[in-house]
Amino acid sequence: MKNKKRAAFILFCILPTLLIFSIFIVYPVTQVFIKSMYSSSGFGNNEQFIGFANFIELFQDDIFLQSIKNTGFLMLVVPVITLFLSLVFASILSLGELREKHLYRTIFFFPSILSFVVIGILWAFIYHPNMGIVNEVLNWMGLEQFALTWLGSKDTVLWAIALVMVWQAVGYYMVMYLAGMDSIPKELYEAASLDGANAVQQFFKITVPMLWEIIRITIIFSINGVLNISFVLVIVMTGGGPNNSSQVALTYMYKQAFVNANFGYAMAIAVIVFSVSLLLSFISNKLTERETH
Amino acid sequence: MKSIFSKMFILLAIFTIILAGCSSEKEGSSEATTPENGEPEAKSEVLEVAVFQGGYGDAFWKQLAANFEKANPGTKVNVTANPDIGNIIRPKIIAGTPPDVVYLNQTDPSGVTQGLIKEQGLTDLTDLFAGNAIDEDKPLALKILPGVLESVYMSPYGDGKIYMAPYNYNVMGLWYNKTLFDDKGIALPKTWDELLALNSVAKENDRALFTYQGTVPSYLEEILIPAVYSLGGQEALDQMLEYDPEFWKSETALTVLGIFEKIANEENALMNGTVALDHTQSQTSFMQGKAMFIPNGNWFEGEMAEAPREDGFEFGFLGVPTFNAKDPLLALNSVEQMYIPKDAKNPELAKEFLRFMYSEENIKLNGELTKASMAVVGASDIVAEYLSESSYNVFKAVESGMYSMSGNFAPVPAGVNVDPREVLFDQVASIMNKEMTVQEWADKMYEVYSKVEEKK
Repeated sequence: MKNKKRAAFILFCILPTLLIFSIFIVYPVTQVFIKSMYSSSGFGNNEQFIGFANFIELFQDDIFLQSIKNTGFLMLVVPVITLFLSLVFASILSLGELREKHLYRTIFFFPSILSFVVIGILWAFIYHPNMGIVNEVLNWMGLEQFALTWLGSKDTVLWAIALVMVWQAVGYYMVMYLAGMDSIPKELYEAASLDGANAVQQFFKITVPMLWEIIRITIIFSINGVLNISFVLVIVMTGGGPNNSSQVALTYMYKQAFVNANFGYAMAIAVIVFSVSLLLSFISNKLTERETH
Repeated sequence: MKSIFSKMFILLAIFTIILAGCSSEKEGSSEATTPENGEPEAKSEVLEVAVFQGGYGDAFWKQLAANFEKANPGTKVNVTANPDIGNIIRPKIIAGTPPDVVYLNQTDPSGVTQGLIKEQGLTDLTDLFAGNAIDEDKPLALKILPGVLESVYMSPYGDGKIYMAPYNYNVMGLWYNKTLFDDKGIALPKTWDELLALNSVAKENDRALFTYQGTVPSYLEEILIPAVYSLGGQEALDQMLEYDPEFWKSETALTVLGIFEKIANEENALMNGTVALDHTQSQTSFMQGKAMFIPNGNWFEGEMAEAPREDGFEFGFLGVPTFNAKDPLLALNSVEQMYIPKDAKNPELAKEFLRFMYSEENIKLNGELTKASMAVVGASDIVAEYLSESSYNVFKAVESGMYSMSGNFAPVPAGVNVDPREVLFDQVASIMNKEMTVQEWADKMYEVYSKVEEKK
């Protein structure tokens, strides 16, 4: 009797959240799956059920394949570099006896409070082929042959965007790691240094294992972050160019849905992106699983 | 326990009321208009007008609405103006309560107009243009510039029915720095060969020959369409604009695309870094004297009013060179689109509004407030005093000798998931980076056009 009442109470308490969750998450997501089977312009009339035709066409669409490839590249490169740099910076700031510690912490975190659009515009000017600081510096150093059109060449554009994403995210994850490192007992480091372990050994043998749970979460955050942030940066900085070399899955989806009015086709892209990111999160979760002590 | 229950219940109730309050507000306002429409000769009608607020601002629409209310007592016109109007009206269209009159171009990045065309979601305006103009005793169609209403831009389905109403008239082509050409005594090129030959002159003057809006390559349409027309005539142009794949096998296509390859391959012809620059960056570089020519429209001066420029810079409109020295220079024109969505509540009043807009008085008002000229016969004379100098020169050039042609890519049929126009101009970056040949470009377009043809 008491248990029943308790269950009813719990149910009652989660009802509002459940309602909101269903309306704003479950319903739209199911709609995405349903709409991906239709040929539709997104205006409600003339919808036509076409089964899996959108998906079949997708895998013959070279722009889509290119965009998936680009997204994959960013998802692989950006989290690895970002998280590694964040970890290194965090441990230097946390263990190193730097007097300007707080200053660095603020400076590194600064990009995280800027809007992505501002970051995009800022870096578009940094990379500006004729008056950007990157090329000005290279020319001044006499390295004219390296002063490339960073955002205009298919070989450099993705790396250029990846660098911006790393720059933007390092501070954010660094602060997360710093918080984690504060909870690692100092005695571990003292004992290790008594045993003759140097800083690098301490980093890999103490810091990383102790932070492992946080690292796992940040990997998933970072992968999903790449998906979202790359959309804004690509729209602002390159528009997907040159010739779709920097097109990512979400910009292509947006273009198909809202510019070309191929809503059903765009939803098919969304389904793929959804499945891929779910799969990736799952894989990274499995791969990083370790026994917790 | 009970008290917590009741508190929770009250919380839930409050929440529901708030949510319900949000939704019923909108319904309330739209319902308010419908019952009154039921009465015959309803005297209090509300007209919802949604306009794109771009370089022309919104002052004209506000004034036009006020004038319309004065001329039709009892009507109320609500103007919604926004640079992102497409995304604002999209949910209303989907919900079945669209605005009555919309001014938004097919090429708008929101894709709303494009979508409505695909959906056949527009009201037939043929009778509006067959009927008399408001201030003259002749059909409205005769007031509009010849050829405009019949074009795919206004009659998108090619069935002789007009679904779009023309608004402002734009002329586009290549621009140059007039001061530079006058001071150095450089002759204006009349053909593509002459233009490309100016490369050495450009180099002497420490600038590249050409630049374009790199990340928005569809500006190159302003060159490509006239070039195809110049070489292959209307027939070839129609082939290209109506997605006949065979066009890309023709000599015309290869020669025209070849212009871009020549620009890419000749040293100093393309401004360094063009491919990576957006429209503002490339246009600023042009005005700072980094390049000799750039494509753009008559709105150029107004758009770049705040931009830095080289000393003595003056806007000069060249038009588009041809392939034959005897032909007059070309210019591409385009017409802004207005329409009435199919589910509009007040289509008749909306048509009346459009008819009202084409009166001489309002054409003049439009010129005064937007510094532009409507696609109406003689409009550029009516508004001459208001146009910026460069804009006026463009219209004047078109009247004296330059041939202003129209040409727009036809809407793609429903079910086609590629935008051939976009694919066409996306490839330019690869050409400019020397990663692609003209033959590969044409082959790619053949493939894309074939896909469109399948669904026709």
